[in-house]
Amino acid sequence: MKRKIALGLLVAAALSAAPVAPNSGKSEVAKMTLKVGDTAPDFTLLSDQWKSVKLSDYRGKKNVFLAVYVLAFTGG
Amino acid sequence: MDSPAANAAFAKQIGINFPLLSDMNRKMLKTYGILKGYNVQDETYEWALRANIIIDKQGVIQFVEEGDSAVDPNTALTMCTTLHKKDSAK
Repeated sequence: MKRKIALGLLVAAALSAAPVAPNSGKSEVAKMTLKVGDTAPDFTLLSDQWKSVKLSDYRGKKNVFLAVYVLAFTGG
Repeated sequence: MDSPAANAAFAKQIGINFPLLSDMNRKMLKTYGILKGYNVQDETYEWALRANIIIDKQGVIQFVEEGDSAVDPNTALTMCTTLHKKDSAK
């Protein structure tokens, strides 16, 4: 299958998963601040190949599927 | 956050062919509103949401889902296909 549909970027955040059920104290309800129609803020992140990946490098070239994947069990 | 080295091992293990990124300083997560602080017994802890975001070639967000609904990527993948078909029709 050709993978021209979108460039997939996965931000692994295994150690940052939300608590399932905090037993005490207050918890802030997480809600994303971005919505459809907003310009995606640019970012530069390190890839698994230790290369800098900049979102704006794909502008005009490819659609981007950005998956923030907590508890990915990467072992890291 | 997972290190690039951990991600490299994971990428090899599951055989993926797209970049696996590390947000080591949590800057992107904060900018996108994905990282939130929780106060538990007077201590603040930061946790990330699971999220799927599709950004078109113009850099505009076309699809967002977060939390439990983002666990299943099929809705986002369908959106990718739709976006690709629109591009192809141009």
